[in-house]
Amino acid sequence: MSTPVPAGIEPVAGDASNGGYIPEDPDDQLLVALIGPPNSGKTTLFNKLTGLRQKVANYPGVTVEKHLGIVRLPDGRDVRLVDLPGVSGFSARSADERITRDVLEGRAAGLEAPDAMVLVVDATRLETQLLLVEPIMELGLPTLLVLNVADELEARNGRLNDQVLGEQFGVEVTRTNARSGRGVDAVREFIASVADAEHPDGSEASSRDSSGAARSDRREPRSRELRNVSHRSSLPLIDVFATRRRIVQGAVAAADYSPAGPSRLTERLDSIFLHRVMGPVCFVVLAVLVFQAIFTWAVPLMDGVELVVAGSGEWLAANLPASWFRDLLIDGVWAGVGSVLVFLPQILILFLFLGILEDSGYMARAAVIADRMMYRVGLQGRAFLPLLSAYACAVPAILSARTVADDRDRLATMFVAPFMTCSARLPVYALLIAAFIPEKPILGPLLGTRAATLLGLYLLGAVAAVSTAFLLKRTLLRGKRSGFVMELPPYRIPSLRTLGLRLVDRSRIFLRRVGRIILAVAIVLWILLQFPRVGGEPPPIDDSALGRTGQLIEPAIAPLGFNWKIGVGLVSSLAAREVIVGTLGTIYGVEDTDETSIQLQAALKRDLDLGGAVALLVFFVFALQCMSTVAVMRRETAGWRWPALQFSYMLALAWVGAFIANRLI
Amino acid sequence: MEDPHTRTLLRELPEPAPETELRLLDVPLREVVELVRIDLPSDELEPLLERGILPGCLLCPLRYSPSGDPIVRVDGSLLALRRETAGCLCVRRGVLPVH
Repeated sequence: MSTPVPAGIEPVAGDASNGGYIPEDPDDQLLVALIGPPNSGKTTLFNKLTGLRQKVANYPGVTVEKHLGIVRLPDGRDVRLVDLPGVSGFSARSADERITRDVLEGRAAGLEAPDAMVLVVDATRLETQLLLVEPIMELGLPTLLVLNVADELEARNGRLNDQVLGEQFGVEVTRTNARSGRGVDAVREFIASVADAEHPDGSEASSRDSSGAARSDRREPRSRELRNVSHRSSLPLIDVFATRRRIVQGAVAAADYSPAGPSRLTERLDSIFLHRVMGPVCFVVLAVLVFQAIFTWAVPLMDGVELVVAGSGEWLAANLPASWFRDLLIDGVWAGVGSVLVFLPQILILFLFLGILEDSGYMARAAVIADRMMYRVGLQGRAFLPLLSAYACAVPAILSARTVADDRDRLATMFVAPFMTCSARLPVYALLIAAFIPEKPILGPLLGTRAATLLGLYLLGAVAAVSTAFLLKRTLLRGKRSGFVMELPPYRIPSLRTLGLRLVDRSRIFLRRVGRIILAVAIVLWILLQFPRVGGEPPPIDDSALGRTGQLIEPAIAPLGFNWKIGVGLVSSLAAREVIVGTLGTIYGVEDTDETSIQLQAALKRDLDLGGAVALLVFFVFALQCMSTVAVMRRETAGWRWPALQFSYMLALAWVGAFIANRLI
Repeated sequence: MEDPHTRTLLRELPEPAPETELRLLDVPLREVVELVRIDLPSDELEPLLERGILPGCLLCPLRYSPSGDPIVRVDGSLLALRRETAGCLCVRRGVLPVH
């Protein structure tokens, strides 16, 4: 991998070495591209076709995820399927759009030109979706146009002659319901027929002679370049789209198309979720529910993980001969890595909810409700989605800020993105809240003190982001306000399979971070705690190399209510925020060698009072402790000026905020 | 919602007849209108065009968001526009509703 972003950060969701089942030299294996507008059901279809036989890597040089999977055909052959980013245009404003364009035109590094295409559109929004993909159909590759949720088109009194539509564009057409799996076999058959045409002499092709023959006369690609796209046309923008629209309207008119009537479900739900009063109320209630679930639902799961970590640690301690290696393994690695691992259930619950909200179509409504605030601040509506994705991780958020057209707006968006509470902060918040905030009901079972505190921390981050953006747009980055248009997809029941695969993906990312950064930090810290030796034994912890270094920085953080151990945690968390949990786990693991289970919360209470704990929480809300974010900012702004300003501004805010919090409480 | 400034601008326009051309924001909910012109600089046009908002298309405002931004149906898709953007869409009345 040659991405300039350090390994281990979120968007590097996989690497080329971990699959094994996808051949590195794929010359003899067919490549089919899966393409479609966002919310067309494309990813659900991808998951249906490939199941767990998929892997995520990055396109070389850009941080766009490459989802590659294997489709097993009925006769046992394997075909590679690449799930391209959702097409929302070809103007190459975003890295996603550029990659989609480059792959289709056969110019993408790391992936050859596809042999065939499966184009997915939502049949209930046929005209708008065809408008987006019309240039792709002009490429003239063997193409299957998949009309997803076509059953809904009929149910809502729409009508379409598939065959005529296919003839109009020179493609094959089929209907599916990706979620229920209906019609997915037809997609497999199409892929098989392309495979037959590519290798007509293969013995396995004989069973499919008829469809293979039909394909062998397929047209040569008319052009390897996308036409009717703005960047390639000398025509004014509006004429480029007018041409595309004329082609689409001619085709659907010939196919006797009558659009689906309005969706009752969507109308009814929108009348609640976008209601003047009920809309914002639902918004708040949903947010409260998510945060309450993070605390209440996660408890049994976390207890389970803790039991496994502690149990395996005890077993190792009992069964390994006493040696420095055993101490390193138990007190350093198990205590450090284990204490972070415990938070996996909470992160998964967060992403489960984000996934449900997004796949059901609610997230777009939430964006509409929040947009007015963005406007008042002076940010573009397009900045909302990058900022929302910053709740997962600031790195992809900063990258997706490329979709913000205006340079000043883009900079402001990137600058404030790290204030949004990323998932790496969650373990820190959860640990400190569980240790210092007693659980009491506030609104009966709906909201407890712990969830309320967590919600408060998320809000504090959002307020910091909004006020900083407000400040920037009035000082360094003055500019005009601009418009906003956003598609509201129809409400749909999320696919369990897609949600599940998303969580599998998330777990992989989390475990990889734990396995790399946190493991490395745990080992280094353990070594620093063993020296200098006193009579051949490890020193008292205050006299260790780590203790002495920590005491050097203590004056800077003592006013915040932190001692040197917390200080070491803060310094190590510069690598990544959740490292502080592992660091404290290792320090306390070495300190209390007789204890094999992780008593992190109890140990923390010796070193922090309530004021110090709140100060630490506030510090984490504001501080930019994430080298990956700094690195990606440097790359995106082509210089050190903005990341340096961002880092110092956020650090200053963190110190002052923590100081005030410590004084007040 | 009635912006006096927009009204003045409209009256100064030479063509077509001002009484038949109005802005999307002035259209009552659930009335289908045809888009005539987009009064936006070209660098802000593309997001609208990509979503099917181009002259000749049929628009139907369905509801307003809690903050007063219109939700519009275009060719079966629902789009949320900022009211500032909707104020730049010149539309024509008298189109038969499609549904």
